[in-house]
Amino acid sequence: MRNASRAAFGWLALAAGAIVYPLVLPGAFYIDVGTTLLLAAATAAAWNIIGGYAGQVSVGHAMFFGAGAYLPLLVYKLWQWPPIAGLPFGIVVSLVLAVLVGMPTFRLQGHYFSMATIAVAELIRLVVATAEPLGAAIGLQGPAVGRGVWDLTFRSGLPYYYLFLALLAMVLATSWWLQRSRLGFYLRSLRASERAARSLGVPVRRCKLLALMLSAAFTSAAGSLYAVKTGFVDPESGLGILVSVQMIIVAALGGAGTLFGPVLGALILIPLQTLTNTYFGGEGSGLTYILYGGAILLIARFEPGGLLDLVYRARGLFAKPAPSSEQSRHAA
Amino acid sequence: MLLEASAVTKQFGGFRAVSDASISIDEGEIVGLIGPNGAGKSTMFNCLSGDLPPTSGRIVYDGRDVTRASPEAHARLGIGRTFQVPVTFEDMTILENVMVGAFLRHAGRNAAHAAAMDILEMTGLAPIRDRPARSLGTPGRKRLEIARVLATRPRLLLLDEALAGLNANEIASAIQLVRAIHARGITLIVVEHVMEVIMSLAQRVLVFNQGRVIASGAARDVVQDAEVIRAYLGQTQWIAAAPAAAVP
Repeated sequence: MRNASRAAFGWLALAAGAIVYPLVLPGAFYIDVGTTLLLAAATAAAWNIIGGYAGQVSVGHAMFFGAGAYLPLLVYKLWQWPPIAGLPFGIVVSLVLAVLVGMPTFRLQGHYFSMATIAVAELIRLVVATAEPLGAAIGLQGPAVGRGVWDLTFRSGLPYYYLFLALLAMVLATSWWLQRSRLGFYLRSLRASERAARSLGVPVRRCKLLALMLSAAFTSAAGSLYAVKTGFVDPESGLGILVSVQMIIVAALGGAGTLFGPVLGALILIPLQTLTNTYFGGEGSGLTYILYGGAILLIARFEPGGLLDLVYRARGLFAKPAPSSEQSRHAA
Repeated sequence: MLLEASAVTKQFGGFRAVSDASISIDEGEIVGLIGPNGAGKSTMFNCLSGDLPPTSGRIVYDGRDVTRASPEAHARLGIGRTFQVPVTFEDMTILENVMVGAFLRHAGRNAAHAAAMDILEMTGLAPIRDRPARSLGTPGRKRLEIARVLATRPRLLLLDEALAGLNANEIASAIQLVRAIHARGITLIVVEHVMEVIMSLAQRVLVFNQGRVIASGAARDVVQDAEVIRAYLGQTQWIAAAPAAAVP
C-alpha cells in the first residue's frame, strides 16, 4: 500500500512538472524540446505495450507511425480536409497492417516477428518513396496557412506541447490499466514462456495480436499529431528505420515492460540528442546513429532490464531487512 | 472413465518415443507412470496435455476427442500439467504467477486475486507471495508450478517429476501436498522416479519401457513383475547370453 501511494505521488509530481514546464521555461526552444520529448515518450510507451510487456520486439513500428503521419496529409491533399481528420484513417490502416504482420508471424516464436517487422516497414518505406500519389521521395505537405480552427495551426508551440502531453497520458493510463488486467498478466506470462503460458490456458496468439493492435493504434495517433504539427512528412521522417529504433532505445534505456521506463528513457535520451544536435549542427545528425548504437551496446551489455531495474536493485540493497523478517515469520 | 488414450503413437523422424500406448484413467484415481529414462513418459505427458499432437491414436477426455486440441484448450477443459524442468514466470511475483492461472476462470482482477490467495494458502506459499519467482530454488519452483496450475481449477492434473531433486523433508511435504490435491477431488497422473513416492501415493501404476506400456496394476504387484524388473535393471541380454555360452 505504501509503495502504491508513493508511486501515485511520484506520478502526480511528474504530471505537475510536465504541465508547469512550458510556463517556467517559456522559450520556443524549450517548448520544442519538451514536445519532442513527449512525442518520444508517447511512441516508446506505445511500443512498450507489444515490445515491453509482451516481449515481442518490433523493429518496424515506423510503419504505424508513418501510416499515422501520411494519412492526415493525404486527406488534405486529396480532399482539402483538415489534416487531423486523417487520424482515425491512420489508425485503421495501422490496425490492418498489425493484423497482416501479426497473424502469420505470431504462430512462430523468437526473432521471426522482429525480422518480419523490419522487412515490412522497409518495404513500405521503399514503396511510398516511389509512389507519386504519396509524394514519392519528396513527401506530403499540409496547409501552408491555417484555414480555420480545425487545421490546428498555432502561432506558439504551446498547444502542441499539451496535445502530446495528453496523448502520453492516454498511453500511460492504458498501460497502467493493462498492467493490472488479465491481458497484461497474460502478456507478461507469455514473454517469460509461451509454453508454460499456454499450459495455463493463455490464448497466446490472440493476446499478442491484441497487444500489437493496441500498440499500433497509439503509435499511429502519435504519428498523426506529429504530421499535423509539422505540416510535412517524407519517407525518412515518417517511415525511416530510425523512427522504429528510437522507440526501442527510449523504452529499453528506461526499462522495457515497465510503466515509467519509456518516460525515463525519453527524459535522458532527448536532452542528450538535443545537445549533440546543437553543438554539432546539421553535421551532427549522423551522431544520432552513433548515440543510438552506443546506447544499444551499453544497455545490452550492462543493463538488459533498463535503468529502472538498476534503481530497483539499488533500492533492494537498502531494504534488505524486510524479506528476512517475512521469512522468519514463515518459519515460525 | 475420465481419460482414455487408445493406441497413441508419437514418432520423431525414425524414432518412436511412444508406441501404441493405451491407458485409461478413472475419475478420482492417482495413477503412477514409471519407467526407465527415455521410456517415453514425458512424451506421453506432452501428448496428453496437447503439447505434442500424437502421430496416431486417439485421446478422449470426459467424452470429448481432445487428440489434436491445443494446450490452452486442454487447460480450459480442465487438464492441467507441470513440467519436468519447472518453467516459472521469472520476473513476476509468486502471487502474480498464480494469478495467471487463476485468470482462466476469473476474468476480473479481484476475483483472480482472491482465488490465487486461496491456492497460495493451501500450498504454503502465501507468506512469500510478493517475492519474484526467480528468487525460488528448485523445490520452490516445483511447488509454484503446482500452485499455478491448481489455480486453473483442473479436474485432471499431470505432474511430471514434481518431486525429483527434492530432499527427504521436501518429499514428505510434497507428498502431503499431492494428497491434499487429491482430497479436493482432482484426478492425478504422476510421473516419478522415486519408487517409494509412487508406492505411497499411487493406487495404480503404469510401467513404460521403450515407448510401450509393459505392465499395469497395483503398485505392489507391478514391482514384482519380471518384465518390469528387467526393464529397470536392463538384464535382458545378460540372461539370454549366459545359457547360450554354457551350451557347448
